[in-house]
Amino acid sequence: MRISFNWLKEFVDIPEGAQELANRFTNVGLAVDALETAGQDSVFDLDIATNRPDCLSHLGIAREVGAIYGSLLRTPKFALREAERRAQEVFSISIADPDLCARYCGRYIESVKIGPSPDGLKARLEALGVRSINNVADATNYVMLELGQPLHAFDADTLAGQQIIVRRADFEEKVTTLDGTERQLDPSMLVIADAKQAVAIAGIMGGAGTEITPSTKNVVLESANFDALSIRKTSRALGLSTEASYRFERGAEIEMARFACDRAAALIQELTGGRVYRDVIDVYPGEVKPRVATLRQSRIRKFLGAPVDDAVVECIFERLGFTTRKTDDGWSVQAPSHRVDISREEDLLEEIARHYGFDKFPATLPAWSGYGSALPFETEERLLRNRLAANGYSEVLAMAFSDEAAERKFRPDVEPVKLVNPMAENESVLRTSLVPSTLRTFQWNLNHGIRDLQLYELGKVYRNGGENRLLILAATGALRTKSVHEPERDFNFYDLKGEVEDILQTFDVRLTMDRKNLPPHYHPGRTARFGDVAVFGELHPEIADMFKLRQRIYVAELDVKMIFRSETRHLVEPIPRFPSIRRDLSLLLDKGILYEDVRAAVRKAGITDLIQIDPVDRLERGPFPETKYSLAISLIYQSNDRTLTDEEVDRFDRQILGLLEQQLGVQLRK
Amino acid sequence: MSSNDGTGRLRAIEQKFNSELASVHDARSLEDIRTRYLSRKSGLLTTQLQNLGELPKDQRAEFGRVANQLKSKIEAALDTLQTTIFEREKQSALERETLDVTLPGNRRRIGHRHPLTIVWKEIEDIFISMGYTVEDGPEIESTYYNFDALNFPVGHPARDPRDTFYVGENMILRTHTSPVQVRTMEKVQPPVRIICPGRVFRRDAFDPTHSPMFHQVECLVVDEGITFSDLKGTLERFHKQFFGEKTKTRLRPSFFPFVEPGAEVDISCVFCDGSGCRVCKGTGWIEVMGAGMVHPNLYGFVNYDAEKYTGFAFGGGIDRYAMLKYNINDLQLFFQNEMRFLQQF
Repeated sequence: MRISFNWLKEFVDIPEGAQELANRFTNVGLAVDALETAGQDSVFDLDIATNRPDCLSHLGIAREVGAIYGSLLRTPKFALREAERRAQEVFSISIADPDLCARYCGRYIESVKIGPSPDGLKARLEALGVRSINNVADATNYVMLELGQPLHAFDADTLAGQQIIVRRADFEEKVTTLDGTERQLDPSMLVIADAKQAVAIAGIMGGAGTEITPSTKNVVLESANFDALSIRKTSRALGLSTEASYRFERGAEIEMARFACDRAAALIQELTGGRVYRDVIDVYPGEVKPRVATLRQSRIRKFLGAPVDDAVVECIFERLGFTTRKTDDGWSVQAPSHRVDISREEDLLEEIARHYGFDKFPATLPAWSGYGSALPFETEERLLRNRLAANGYSEVLAMAFSDEAAERKFRPDVEPVKLVNPMAENESVLRTSLVPSTLRTFQWNLNHGIRDLQLYELGKVYRNGGENRLLILAATGALRTKSVHEPERDFNFYDLKGEVEDILQTFDVRLTMDRKNLPPHYHPGRTARFGDVAVFGELHPEIADMFKLRQRIYVAELDVKMIFRSETRHLVEPIPRFPSIRRDLSLLLDKGILYEDVRAAVRKAGITDLIQIDPVDRLERGPFPETKYSLAISLIYQSNDRTLTDEEVDRFDRQILGLLEQQLGVQLRK
Repeated sequence: MSSNDGTGRLRAIEQKFNSELASVHDARSLEDIRTRYLSRKSGLLTTQLQNLGELPKDQRAEFGRVANQLKSKIEAALDTLQTTIFEREKQSALERETLDVTLPGNRRRIGHRHPLTIVWKEIEDIFISMGYTVEDGPEIESTYYNFDALNFPVGHPARDPRDTFYVGENMILRTHTSPVQVRTMEKVQPPVRIICPGRVFRRDAFDPTHSPMFHQVECLVVDEGITFSDLKGTLERFHKQFFGEKTKTRLRPSFFPFVEPGAEVDISCVFCDGSGCRVCKGTGWIEVMGAGMVHPNLYGFVNYDAEKYTGFAFGGGIDRYAMLKYNINDLQLFFQNEMRFLQQF
């Protein structure tokens, strides 16, 4: 709302300059977006809170200024000379839907001379961003800016049957508004109609057919009060927002309608020389009772944190136009009709806090006992994040919106949550998998010349009826770039697998790897899973291609909830007291035999003193048949109760070799 | 052989030794000279002592004494030289191993935390230390929890599909984390003191200060005797902790449907310490939060006794705090996840 400093001064004495006043506005909750100089005047651009429609006018702001400085408010003075003839003789008003129109005031003005407004008035309107139209329209706009009451003027001679009917629109009813657009109406909308048809959309915009034109002779002036919610809905439905609808949808002051009607009629009379018929036709079906709330004196300290003197309290209310009456423990306070936001004690406490000054209350900390706590698994989550960072993974946070086709590709089993009103076609669902958004992150980085990446995201995926937090690890390019110290080394499948194993071990998740139900977005020969907890591998080259990623991509998807929830107790084992013996066996195997087969066969020997098996070398080609490969394994033996002898360990080795030969045809490499 | 001859020989040996010793510079020639003079079988000095018997009896003692003296002298000189040479050789062995220590260290790649997580956790930790419990809730939320129970009237502009993402008739993507407050109050009676950090959604197109998805943290306290002063003190404490002790906090009256009195919270500009700069548009203040005393209507939704309990609530953008903390001027950087940005944290 744009407010003229000079105009304010017509209603209230202001002992300070515009800049000082701007600071005061800020302190009482009238947010100042800008303060501009306009000729001899200053213009404030105020951001008025939605609960304070009474501040959408110069009089309303002047009232706050009065309360700020303790200055007296001067309501606008005007002289209205009424003609002999009564308005009721020439037209009538009826409200068919009083639930949507609480009051309708109308006046009849005869023999107006339509023309431009005087320069002073024009300048004032234009400084406040309102275009000057003609003297009648300008008068209604002027009074709206002055008093906050939206008004409308009809060309009286275009109103069929000399009547105004306030009613809901009919099905399929249409009206062409002042902006020349034909509007399709429905019965949820309130219109102003004459005997034949709708002539205006109530509280929003007048109709073109009843507009004031240069040849208009007689005017019907409307000053009404419409239901806020109905106006808001109609305005939204029609996509039509005006100065009038802006005020009505926040709540206009019902008692202002009649005063504004007289004020505007007087101004029109002054500007056009028209004759104002006697009487306001004032249809006011149910008078609105004044709002009364009680304020207990003790509540001020209890609620605000410090007491405020009774005299100060009463003074604040008086300046704001409230009427107070002392009670046993405080006050009974009646709010003026323009304060539609006041209904209970807290509303009054707010007025005191605002005008006494927020800065006058001390800053204290709540007194309490008890303790604070983080979300469940926060410790685990922080451990995980620290581990990942230490191991080279950087955290990303991706948008939750995704492309439906992409999501269905990665999670064909999940019905994605669809947005009714997405911002863009490719952001129409919430992600069901962390993979596509991660691949888009890769895309972005690769496009910016960054080809070595190790990323993770701990983020939500969504489906109908639920949200779940997952972890994704993703890497591509070099694990180590070439440097003066070391050669380059690409990130590979086993780096990823190692990371997954580390995580599972950190959180005591004991699962064996398997290769069941592997998602098709992985390279079929380079993927595996640990139960339902983790699935990982190299991204399928076709998927990488689809995302225009021209290098190998490694991805692991983990369910952190399941990982953190692991019930395994972490118990420490004693450090062994007896030395261990290591034996290396160099084996020759048929291609196709997996390491896991070898391990299982070794395990089958059931040697309890065999505490560790590790593969230490693997040769695909060498001095052996092409159908074979060589695998060196190291075996570590250790007993809990004695030092093992070489003879014992030799026996173990032979036993293991025997089993390997028998089960897998493995030979010891000479 | 006379004793004079004998001692003369010894003197000659000594002179010869001294002159030879001067050219000994390494362990090898040191060993050579030691052998030449002191070798048990053939050493120049040893053989003199071995030949003692050839001297007349009365001279033997004197010759022996002088010879032994010379022997000790030579031994001492050789030992001293040996120490020097060993020391020098150790030194040069180390010197040969000298590295170019100015080459950069061989650093492993370390990962970086996302700035929003850093700030998010920092905020959590401050409030946990002040006795708050962290709560979370669903991002796909009902209009009841997101609007109705927070005193947003039917028809409030925030409910408009132009501003809020709908996923069903009465289901939306939450526009703030306040629904968590309502859900918490439904579960427990006061005292309630929680913070709710989380992801929220509004239908804003991406630009440097807007994003359809961003992060908020909200705080709610409901207990007996909670005052507006407590709200002020808590906000002041939090901002001092987060931005530094010199940070000032100010509340300006404002309006939000779920609080009364409502306030906008400003902090003294973190870039100019309040003296006025481009970021704070010369005002010295930066708006960071909305706050206020919990509107009594809310207690009605969760069956709290509005007469017995009072409370405060506030909320702000985690993204905004991160932008202020790190001087980030474009919100989009948070979600592009470019390494050149992330590696700075």
